[in-house]
Amino acid sequence: MDKNFKEEFTQIIKFEPPLYKQRHQFVRDLVEKYKPKKVADLGCADCSLLWMLKFCSCIEVLAGLDICANVMKEKMHTLSPLPIDYLQPSERSLTVTLHHGSVAHKDPCMLGFDLVTCIELIEHLEESELKKFPEVVFGFMAPSIVVISTPNSEFNCLLPRVMLYRHPDHKFEWSQAEFQSWALETASCYDYSVEFTGVGHPPTGMEKVGFCTQIGVFFRKYPQTAESVQSEEPMEAVYKTVFKAVYPSLKDEKYLQNAVISEVIFTAQIIKHRLMSKREEYSDDPERKSKFQPSMDCFSDYLGKLVVEKNMEPFVSGNEVYIPLRTIFSFPKVNRLCGTFEKLCKLIAGKVTLSSDGSAVMFNIEHENEEN
Amino acid sequence: TIGLQVSSGLQDLSLRDRGGRRRDFHDLGVNTRQAMVHVQESKTGFSGKMIKLTTNHFRLTSRPQWALYQYHVGYSPEMEARRLRSALLFQHEETIGKTHAFDGSILFLPKKLENKVTELFSRTRNGEDVKITVTLTNELPPTSPTCLQFYNIIFRRLLKMLNLQQIGRNYYNPSDPVIIPNHRLMVWLGFTSSILQYEENIMLCTDVSHKVLRGETVLDTMHSLHSQVGEERFRDACAKELIGLIVLTKYNNRTYRIDDIDWDNNPKSTFRKSDGSEMSFVEYYKKQYNIEISDWMQPVLISQMKRKRGNIQGSVALIPELCSLTGLTDKMRSDFNMMKDLAIHTRLPPEQRQRELGRLLNYIQKDDNVQKELRNWGLSFDNKSVSFTGRIVQGEKIFQSGAMFDYNPQFADWTKETRGVPLIRSMPMDSWLLIYTRRNYDVANTLLQSLFKVTPSMGIHMNRPSMIEVDDRTEAYLRVLQQRVTSDINIVVCILSSSRKDKYDAIKKYLCTDCPIPSQCVLARTLSKPQTIMTVATKIALQMNCKMGGELWSVEIPLKQVMIVGIDCYHDTVSGKQSIAGFVASLNQSVTRWFSRCVVQSRGQELVDGIKTCLQTALRNWSKWNKSLPSRIFVYRDGVGDGQLNTLVNYEVPQFLDCLKSIGTDYSPRLTVIVVKKRVGARFFAEIGGGLRNPPPGTVVDTVVTRPEWYDFFVVSQTVKNGCVAPTHYNVIYDTSQLKPDHVQRLTYKLCHMYYNWSGIIRVPAPCQYAHKLAFLVGQSIHREPNLMLSDRLYYL
Repeated sequence: MDKNFKEEFTQIIKFEPPLYKQRHQFVRDLVEKYKPKKVADLGCADCSLLWMLKFCSCIEVLAGLDICANVMKEKMHTLSPLPIDYLQPSERSLTVTLHHGSVAHKDPCMLGFDLVTCIELIEHLEESELKKFPEVVFGFMAPSIVVISTPNSEFNCLLPRVMLYRHPDHKFEWSQAEFQSWALETASCYDYSVEFTGVGHPPTGMEKVGFCTQIGVFFRKYPQTAESVQSEEPMEAVYKTVFKAVYPSLKDEKYLQNAVISEVIFTAQIIKHRLMSKREEYSDDPERKSKFQPSMDCFSDYLGKLVVEKNMEPFVSGNEVYIPLRTIFSFPKVNRLCGTFEKLCKLIAGKVTLSSDGSAVMFNIEHENEEN
Repeated sequence: TIGLQVSSGLQDLSLRDRGGRRRDFHDLGVNTRQAMVHVQESKTGFSGKMIKLTTNHFRLTSRPQWALYQYHVGYSPEMEARRLRSALLFQHEETIGKTHAFDGSILFLPKKLENKVTELFSRTRNGEDVKITVTLTNELPPTSPTCLQFYNIIFRRLLKMLNLQQIGRNYYNPSDPVIIPNHRLMVWLGFTSSILQYEENIMLCTDVSHKVLRGETVLDTMHSLHSQVGEERFRDACAKELIGLIVLTKYNNRTYRIDDIDWDNNPKSTFRKSDGSEMSFVEYYKKQYNIEISDWMQPVLISQMKRKRGNIQGSVALIPELCSLTGLTDKMRSDFNMMKDLAIHTRLPPEQRQRELGRLLNYIQKDDNVQKELRNWGLSFDNKSVSFTGRIVQGEKIFQSGAMFDYNPQFADWTKETRGVPLIRSMPMDSWLLIYTRRNYDVANTLLQSLFKVTPSMGIHMNRPSMIEVDDRTEAYLRVLQQRVTSDINIVVCILSSSRKDKYDAIKKYLCTDCPIPSQCVLARTLSKPQTIMTVATKIALQMNCKMGGELWSVEIPLKQVMIVGIDCYHDTVSGKQSIAGFVASLNQSVTRWFSRCVVQSRGQELVDGIKTCLQTALRNWSKWNKSLPSRIFVYRDGVGDGQLNTLVNYEVPQFLDCLKSIGTDYSPRLTVIVVKKRVGARFFAEIGGGLRNPPPGTVVDTVVTRPEWYDFFVVSQTVKNGCVAPTHYNVIYDTSQLKPDHVQRLTYKLCHMYYNWSGIIRVPAPCQYAHKLAFLVGQSIHREPNLMLSDRLYYL
């Protein structure tokens, strides 16, 4: 809840970048390293960590949970797909869901995650909730990795404006020893290993106090079996879903087809223009090359290589230009989208004007000639 | 001034309108009607036939005794961050309630707190105690301007709750797009919305809006431009195609306008972050959004930002690869096939349009969250649009050389009726030039033969022209013009082989400024189809006749001693430097002859001074023609943007009055100034035979959906083949004519018949369309004021 507010007590110790950003970066580095597909953020508050994670391309499922629906709702729209996500659907699929509920309760929607983050969460839990927390996260959710961060109370002496706790809603703040013993006990109880680290280095000479934020990274020691996810008898959902966004993805046939059609027509049009301007014996002045030129050169070189193969050569016949599908298929973007030539043919069938034998994209250039 | 502060506070509350300072788009608070005594009682006309109409306005209802409570929220000690302020305040939700709107200092609640002043205590995360004082400052009735702004904000919240995506000012539904792969376009259906106080009710005016999005990035577009135009013209082509377009970025939900392209920078270049550190774009996007920029050679786009406060100008650099295009370029607009394909999806006929709106209102009724929000505020919307009666005013009779015609009101066109009838005033073509390239020799001859066939019945005397063959180069055309055009030439006709603008511009520039002779450019392509050549030749003959000072037809103008003025503006979007105001004024009783001038002004200058000079010369010319000064002046002012009404009322009208005063102490003509607006949200549908149709031309609406504080009315003056007809809004902002509203409406409608480039009724009064044509020609091609020798002719048609 507090992680986004500027650390106002940094008059003497100023962290750069701010501590909350360092915590988020820590999570992101972890994501980059382990490439989890399903990530849940418990105590997601204003969703800023989730927002950052949605740009990580390995993640396909993102979930947030918070006890306060209002704080989630305030900025949850930042997790919605952007117009451009519809315009250029990404290859991966992504679903973002926000749940309203408590980490002291089990809900089946939290099963099957690879990474669960609890950033500055546990210190907000009441004693009774904290007691149930390990069973819910490690016993029930049982993800491969759990990240838990919490203030290190030993550091507080360097923060003169902090009276008792760093935030009035904190129920406790632990020393390194307290946190580590809790973490080790929890880990051994649920068959996890744990590594300790932190962000917010202490000033030189004060290394003893440790990081400002202490972090424990827990790794599940046993492999996940399909059984372990499903072994639980069907149980009731106790969380309330407050937000759900399914991102457009090329995994969805509808979006894939649109993308392929548009790419095929786009590519064909470029080839056509090249062809037409060659016919008009239009030549670029080699003296005047801009910085922008290289990528263009690559493109025309590529085209040059292509047309060596005879059957792939685009040609003009009467008022029509024919661009073989094989040529179009050999373009990296089209190729990557479709995978196989058959798939390409299937996807554009009936949507793009083809030659009578279906082997080439056909354009009528009758009207265009008049245009110029 | 309290009201002002309220509005400025509310602006923060509103969902962001990007990239610009917010204006009072609805011109709230400009009350012009109160100064016009003769329309205090009634501003409605009476003539014509009644017609049952329905519209796209939906009544907003609030429960009885509804009020909005406005509070000022103070913090002690003072808290800076807006989010902190909200967080601290909403620790007290049990006092304040769940329903609220808060912008950091002004709080709106649907309920009255127990005390006028409520003190609350909160604690910040670092243990600081803060006293919050919530003071009731206003109890707003439903119709107060602040409330209206508030409704609009709430309505936008609702649209957001319905999962519509905001792009620019409107909201769109991304889940069901129309894809037009041939042109790489995607169309999203969405809604415009505004809630205003209308004649008797507060209503939501909503219309279907289509957002054209393009499935390509700016970089894609640059690549395809490069392959089309080659290296040499590449940068120019990019500037022409891209500057002024609105882009969406890959990483946030903002729109930016491309103002410039910086070719000296690329993604590897660094920029200074707000904390002062330097970082390259590549690094920044990787770090901030985990986005890899693949092309490191692309240039950088520049978007100017107008900051909210203090108007500080800053600019944002954007990476072409990460920007997606929206909207249409001029080039796309001129692509007939593309527009045709688009129109299929965007031109919704009345029934379908109403159905889409019905769907929106249905969503609103059905969505629990939306209903809850509305209920909490004590508001609700009718789900049926308002209906009322309008009037269809009588059709005009068209007079042409003693003959009189009625036109079929269904088509609003008299091309057929007037064919073969002599023109009111036909100008001889005794001496004229026909310039063409070798390739177009045949076309030139075809045109000539056809002109010889169509001109006699119009009463135009035509000799053989001097036929001149030129090379297809701009210089060749210019050289011929310089050698062959003399002052006794009536008109110069150029046949152009392509629509390349530079040639056209050069010809127009020379013949409008250096050597003032009317000119007619024709594309060879338009003459190449044998089946349409006679129609084309007829149109060209009429157009040329007007350019030389001829007159075609007239309608009855019952007012005597009247001068009619039309003003429109053109803003140069490409160079962004110039604005041009076109000014035309009638010269004769039958308003068939027009005097014209224009004002070319650089950015930031006010148009007003120039217009004053125009009016002075117009009056001088009128008196030369009529041997007296006009006793009535009507100004039809087009080209007024949303939110500019105040400027017009307070600066432009006084300048007109000043100008009239300067003519002579004993000269005080009656003046009427009417603001003409083509882009309005209102749509009218005629209930005919159980279905909805477009209302016929001549439909006048001056009740229910007009504004109580204005003397305004709508006229539907044109017809459309597809889609919905758009009414034109007329707002009489100044009027000492003492004429009845009915007469002003009738005069306005009559003037829509007088545009000589179209033998039918058009959407605006002819003087506005003439002024538009003039401003467009000057802005697009000539860039300075044309020679005044031409000022009594319609050379700009």
